[in-house]
Amino acid sequence: MKKAFLKKLLIAFSSLALLVYGTIYACADGDWGWSFDSNFTPETFVDKSYSPLFLSADFFYGIGYDNEHTTRFNEENIKDWSTYLEGKINEKDLAFFLADSSSADVTNLVVHYKNGKSNKLVEKWNKKINLNESKIKDFLSFLNDAQIVETYSTQKFDSWNYDETVKHESLSDGNWIKSMEKKYNDIKDPFLKNRYWFLVIKADFYSDKPEKAIAFFNQTQKLAPKNTLYYRALAYIAGIEYKQKNYAKSNYLYSQVFDKCPTMRVVSAYCFHPQEQKDWQQSLSMAKTDDEKAALWAIQGYYNDEEKAIAEIYKIQPKNQHLDYLLTRLINNQENKIDKSFKDKTVVENKKRIKDSIPNSTINLVSQIAESDKTSKPYLWNAAAGYLETLNGNYKQADKNFDKAESKMPKSELANDQIRLLRFVNNLSKIDQLKPENEKTVLVDLSWLYFELPQKAIENFRYQNATEWSKNYLAALYRNQKNTIMTEIFNHESGFYDNEKQLLDMKAFLSKTNKTKMEQIGAAIYEIKLRDINYFQGVKATFENKIPEAISFMNQSDNMQKTNFYGNPFLGNIKDCHDCDHQAAQKKKYSMLDFLTIIQKMQDNVSKGIDVYNNSLLLGNAFYNITHFGNGRLFYEGNIAGYGSTPDFFRDPIREMITNCSLAQAYYQKAFLAAKNNEQRAKTQYMLAKCERNDFYNKKYYSQNLSSWDIQDDKTNFIPWLGFKTLKANYSKTKYYREIINECGYFKTYVQR
Amino acid sequence: MKKLILCNVILCFFISCQQQEQPKISFYYWKTIFRLSPKEKKTLTENKVERLYIRYFDVDLNPQTGKPFPRTAIQFENTTSGLEIIPVVYIKNRVMLDKKLDILDLAKKTNSFIQQINSKNNIAIHEIQIDCDWTLESKDNYMRFIEAFKKVSAKKLSATIRLHQIKYFKKTKIPNVDRGVLMYYNMGKIAVDSLNSIYDQNIANRYLASLKNYPLPLNIALPIYSWGIHIRDGKIIGLRNKIDTNNLKNNNSFVLTKNNWFEVRNSNFNRGIFYKKNDQIKIETISATDVLEMANNLDENISQNPKEIIFYDLDEFNLKNYEEGFFKEIIDRF
Repeated sequence: MKKAFLKKLLIAFSSLALLVYGTIYACADGDWGWSFDSNFTPETFVDKSYSPLFLSADFFYGIGYDNEHTTRFNEENIKDWSTYLEGKINEKDLAFFLADSSSADVTNLVVHYKNGKSNKLVEKWNKKINLNESKIKDFLSFLNDAQIVETYSTQKFDSWNYDETVKHESLSDGNWIKSMEKKYNDIKDPFLKNRYWFLVIKADFYSDKPEKAIAFFNQTQKLAPKNTLYYRALAYIAGIEYKQKNYAKSNYLYSQVFDKCPTMRVVSAYCFHPQEQKDWQQSLSMAKTDDEKAALWAIQGYYNDEEKAIAEIYKIQPKNQHLDYLLTRLINNQENKIDKSFKDKTVVENKKRIKDSIPNSTINLVSQIAESDKTSKPYLWNAAAGYLETLNGNYKQADKNFDKAESKMPKSELANDQIRLLRFVNNLSKIDQLKPENEKTVLVDLSWLYFELPQKAIENFRYQNATEWSKNYLAALYRNQKNTIMTEIFNHESGFYDNEKQLLDMKAFLSKTNKTKMEQIGAAIYEIKLRDINYFQGVKATFENKIPEAISFMNQSDNMQKTNFYGNPFLGNIKDCHDCDHQAAQKKKYSMLDFLTIIQKMQDNVSKGIDVYNNSLLLGNAFYNITHFGNGRLFYEGNIAGYGSTPDFFRDPIREMITNCSLAQAYYQKAFLAAKNNEQRAKTQYMLAKCERNDFYNKKYYSQNLSSWDIQDDKTNFIPWLGFKTLKANYSKTKYYREIINECGYFKTYVQR
Repeated sequence: MKKLILCNVILCFFISCQQQEQPKISFYYWKTIFRLSPKEKKTLTENKVERLYIRYFDVDLNPQTGKPFPRTAIQFENTTSGLEIIPVVYIKNRVMLDKKLDILDLAKKTNSFIQQINSKNNIAIHEIQIDCDWTLESKDNYMRFIEAFKKVSAKKLSATIRLHQIKYFKKTKIPNVDRGVLMYYNMGKIAVDSLNSIYDQNIANRYLASLKNYPLPLNIALPIYSWGIHIRDGKIIGLRNKIDTNNLKNNNSFVLTKNNWFEVRNSNFNRGIFYKKNDQIKIETISATDVLEMANNLDENISQNPKEIIFYDLDEFNLKNYEEGFFKEIIDRF
């Protein structure tokens, strides 16, 4: 039921707002595509007009899809008319006439020319421009005609109106089109003649007899100058041929538009669409010149097979400009195949897989063209060939290619950085085993990549992939050399700190002052800092009830110890409500260190027998609040333990730690034993019930690691916990008991059973 | 009064002793232009098809405005006389995921668009079917949409139900419609593996037992379609509908490498698609035996016979793969 069959729309063109793109995505529900990680920035050497055609997961690179149907030629139109009118209408007013809602103004002015009568609009323009000027008259008269066609070419429709969506209005007044043809024939001025020529074809295209445009075009095209209007007209003809299922002809014409009219590359690339192999063969046989042949391969290569297109174009026109963009697509496509997973592989195995995934034919073709020096941008070919040689494991040849590229390329920041990046990738790829002497070859570039480039923000430059890749590469090297610390430094594993020895080793590493240059770089990019480790140790010691140790670690955690709890961590309410506790008025805010210091003091008091009930109850609350169920989750969250609103966010040992309420339970038990009256006993029994409840949830949900699909809602929210039973049996007369009934629905339900 | 109760009791016994009524044969029509070929017409007549489910349009979000809009609406070139038409509207889940969705507005617009299509083509309808692969995240919007649409359309409603929505109905909820249609296809993942994403008995088995517990009466939709999964460099680059294996077998640019897998020997264009040398096409088809297996398994696991078995989809291309009498053979299993 997912398949929406793509209705073949008339593939048409520029100002045709009706036919928006997007149908291309209609075929499949799960929009496949691929994301790519790249070291090869196509913008470096390729002309801007090709930019949307660079390899992209979207239909068009950078723009997603073409949405300039009605605006693409505004600027050029304004310029053309401004030149024709010799500045008699300023560009701002021209922009209004040509690209804004000027139809009422134009109609009134044309009526004024016919009957001589004036009105407000006429007066308005009379003040601005000389309406009697013949060129202005001609302009407005043409515009009036053009706007009639525009009502058909820029139809907007209500997508929820069925009639409008299935049947677009077409121009049916054949006589009016004939009158435009007559104007074209009669007019002597070449500029206006050219305009009317285009208007006739456009009018035919939007008429109920679009095929007439073909006849008119064939009769007149020889006289028409080969300007933008010519190729716009040609694209209309190509669209009509497509509609008539003359695919070979249509594609042949689109390729010419692609070749000669850079503004319309996006349009022609989108519309080019051979149905069968014979259509493509026929298009090729229609090509009369090398230019035309190359154009066909250039547009075909966009969709399909860049390598073949490059080979064919190079054979006939090595200096053809289309080769450049095709090459960037070819290279970016190879990058897509690269295996970046170093996890269970050594760099040697990884490089072997990469080498195997790049076809020899691709490397040979690019190398051969680079070597020939026959292209218009040999440096682009050398850079590309060098990069392919890197991927192919031929590092010395890559160096030679980069040298050659660098010596000939026009110097720009992007070009310099691009070559430097490719050289770096090549240099790091040379290393199979890290030694001090080969380390040196990458150190400067690593610093450049990790620290300088992120500050520079060079437009379009693709360096982020090299950042990630180099970290993984180095980690894989260190893993192979059994250097656990440096492996972790370049490739952080979340469970690394669950191993006490590794933790201590890393602390020693981060603390040492005689780090090598590579170690310094590693420590600087490593996302975990010494303070994070100390903080993490402090948290763990707290959960182990080793408070003096915890205080000592906290003291070494920089400012982290000064972080304040959102709520009072010593509160113990009937309801566990974080938000309520966080919003409640607080006389004093407690920092992490305050918290631990107070715990220590209260523990002292308990051991000395001072106010044992209150101290134990508050200690119970404190240890309760730093679990997942309490109001102080902030305490355990950090770069090492992790972050998250439910226990599933945390890895097993951390999840077990933060869901375990046994320490709180022990203190509540102590408080219960020290309680002096039933109110106090009721309170501690309820707190104990809360701990039992949490344990019930832990066993039922959090320790199961179930997906949300598989958590079965058995409607058992609570069971008669021992605390509940004791409360009901022994403390039902207390005030606290009544408070519980008011606030705790489970308990209320339990006692009413 | 007593007599009446007694009558009812007798009637109940009488009904329960009878064999369950056999489902009727129906089809989905999923093309954008309604034009029946002689073969398609013949299939409808031979199988005494009374009701045809026609996809009227999809609802998707406009990528520029972010608003829902109807897409690829059906156009009728043939009349539908002699058939009861049930319009099907396929709503993309992303529409229902939209937090800002104006549900009542969408319900009104959808209904009005159906009415426009009906009045333009002289079609009278009694039922509308909504097809949406809703998820946990979109279920609230979807359920509210169904409620709103039911009121706005004042028609009988049916809705498609996926297998996981049957098993986990407490979580996914049940749309408030008169009848559901169990989509017994699109079970697996479209992937570069040896499995069939359209139908896989192992996957189906995980869900079959849940059918008895589903509270909504169900019709059943069974697949008769096939498609090709187009793979380049080990990645899926597209789904190729109605791909003809005989056409590929007779075209020397394609080589059959293993059962249902083709490799492209020479780059070529075929039906508007470019196949590059070394591309692979994994063909997924549903054989008559598969459909019979589905019917048997379903029959064993349902408590109530469906009123209809709806085959997806009515297209000459699909029909040619099944012998005459095939559809009758399927409903005979119930």
